[in-house]
Amino acid sequence: MGQWEDEFILDCGLRIADWRWRVEVQGNVRGSKRSLTIRNPQSAIRILAALWRLNLAEELQYRANFVASVLGTFFWIGTALLTLAVFFSHATRLGGWDYWEVVVLLGVFNALTGVIEAVLRPGIGRLAGEVRNGGLDLVLAKPVDAQAFVSFRRLDIWRLSDVVLGLTLAGYALHRLGHTPSLAQLAAFALALASAAVVVYALWVALMSLAFWFVSVENLSVLFDAVYEGARYPVSAYPEALRFLFVYLIPIAWTTTIPASALTGRLRPEIGLAAALVAGTALALSRLVWRAALKRYTGASG
Amino acid sequence: MPPAITADRLSKTFKVKVRDPGLKGALRALLKPRYRDVHAVRDVTFAIEPGEIVGFLGPNGAGKTTTLKMLAGLLYPTSGRVAVAGFAPWGGGPAFKRRIALVLGNRQQLVWDLPPEETFQLNRAIYDIAEPDYRERLAELVALLDLGDLLQKPVRQLSLGERMKCELAAALLHRPPILFLDEPTLGLDVTAQEAIRRFLTQYRERYGATVLLTSHYMQDVTALASRVLIINRGRLLYDGALAALVARISRTKRIELVLADGVTREVLAGFGDVKEFRFPNAVLEVPREDAATTSARLLAALPVADLSIEDPPIEDVIRAAFAGGIELDEP
Ligand SMILES: Nc1ncnc2c1ncn2[C@@H]1O[C@H](COP(=O)(O)OP(=O)(O)O)[C@@H](O)[C@H]1O
Ligand SMILES: [Mg+2]
Repeated sequence: MGQWEDEFILDCGLRIADWRWRVEVQGNVRGSKRSLTIRNPQSAIRILAALWRLNLAEELQYRANFVASVLGTFFWIGTALLTLAVFFSHATRLGGWDYWEVVVLLGVFNALTGVIEAVLRPGIGRLAGEVRNGGLDLVLAKPVDAQAFVSFRRLDIWRLSDVVLGLTLAGYALHRLGHTPSLAQLAAFALALASAAVVVYALWVALMSLAFWFVSVENLSVLFDAVYEGARYPVSAYPEALRFLFVYLIPIAWTTTIPASALTGRLRPEIGLAAALVAGTALALSRLVWRAALKRYTGASG
Repeated sequence: MPPAITADRLSKTFKVKVRDPGLKGALRALLKPRYRDVHAVRDVTFAIEPGEIVGFLGPNGAGKTTTLKMLAGLLYPTSGRVAVAGFAPWGGGPAFKRRIALVLGNRQQLVWDLPPEETFQLNRAIYDIAEPDYRERLAELVALLDLGDLLQKPVRQLSLGERMKCELAAALLHRPPILFLDEPTLGLDVTAQEAIRRFLTQYRERYGATVLLTSHYMQDVTALASRVLIINRGRLLYDGALAALVARISRTKRIELVLADGVTREVLAGFGDVKEFRFPNAVLEVPREDAATTSARLLAALPVADLSIEDPPIEDVIRAAFAGGIELDEP
């Protein structure tokens, strides 16, 4: 632990940033639609700002949502902790994790839930319906990256309270563990958590893209919920086959288990880089699925 | 200058799941789905010059919207080629999208709970319009469309006509040279329809925009476009001037008469098909080639105060043509 690793991670981070930048610039020169990132960060920020401003104007009419959201979160965390307590009254470990370690994971889970509820569900979560009723038509007519636009068009700001509460819970559990993370562990956690958000996003994109094939599927987000449910517990708690599935195929191990492990020191900080790699791969794959899906868009008649 | 829009043997086929009615049908569709090809657009070829305004006519389900969506890059053609403003619309990317406006009469981009101006601001960001340009264009659109104080009212409080005017404004803030309008007057009352027609005429005169417009209100097309494309069951049946179309497909002429005393409907019926009779006015329909001789006979036999020979109204011609399954040569 310590100096050397911090620098290593920092260096890698910078190199990744630099590489990304070059990809963007090259994409720009060729004017190709294929570059993964939004080509002009400035315009993306401008559009997002305008979208979210619009959103906020709508949301502010419903301040009660904030209270409801916070209450809902407390209730959810309470139930989850209770379930854990019941389990741990019979056992001392869950998949090799002790109680407060699992609570750290629960905190991470809740923080990601916040991201999902604030951005993904109200944004790309509505895609299936729009593929059915042709609501996507006007988005496709605009000079924007349709995937990015559809994904980040909404920010249900109150639900971000989940992110704060989740991280607070993780912090408290860490304190109960008596573990003070090193800088490297914190950096790895931050990277793994950001990667987790990207992985979750990629899962949404891939699942929602199914709507282009199975137009009549009403509620694809249920499918996501079912899969994401698996991220509530450390993957080591699952049987071998499922573990393989969650690490390599439906990468939900990377959403909670890995960030939590990076934070508690269960895994070495280098795992953060692996997480970033997984996130990059997932994002690229989801992009491919999206592009294939869009070709199949038929809209609705009329 | 190259054409603004070209379509070359453009086709679109939808695969549609066939489902028999009832629970049994639903079950069978689930287990062993059957598909049917719907040929929405077949081998359509045309070119539109910059600055032209062209009406796209055809009965419901003819393939107008599908064609428009392929031109706008929303749908991927099954076969054939499209070029719009020098781009292949599918994959034309932002540079292409900035050059077009797409207005769909049954889709809405305005945010329902907020005033239209909020959506305009969003489009300002999307199209990267500088503030002074935005102010100037908005003022112009407000004047041309007579938007007045509509911009501050929540969209849900606007009438259908007011909403469509705001939709047009939102779609034209980036001042695109090519407009695709699908049923922009759908469901509007006559005054609102006229306002929108007037606006489109003015907009095109000012900016030389190319406009392709579908509508099933014939007045929209006759008032705006001198050239029409007629499509039926996915096939292009006619491409040319509106007036020439009438000459080609209508086999009749109308003789409009103002009669002096003592002529009855029965007497007139001897000369041709009496379409209207409200003394002293009457309208006869006769075969095209007989129009001149019948007129001469009428003038000789009856006390006629006035007589004129007209083409039947375009609406009637086209409606009759669609009803009877049009017989037109390939354009
Ligand atoms: N998304 C779709 N899926 C299946 N069939 C469609 C779809 N869109 C249009 N069609 C069919 O294609 C034909 C042409 O439709 P459309 O282009 O909407 O006609 P129009 O706009 O001239 O009324 C119709 O038979 C319609 O049912
Ligand atoms: Mg239509």
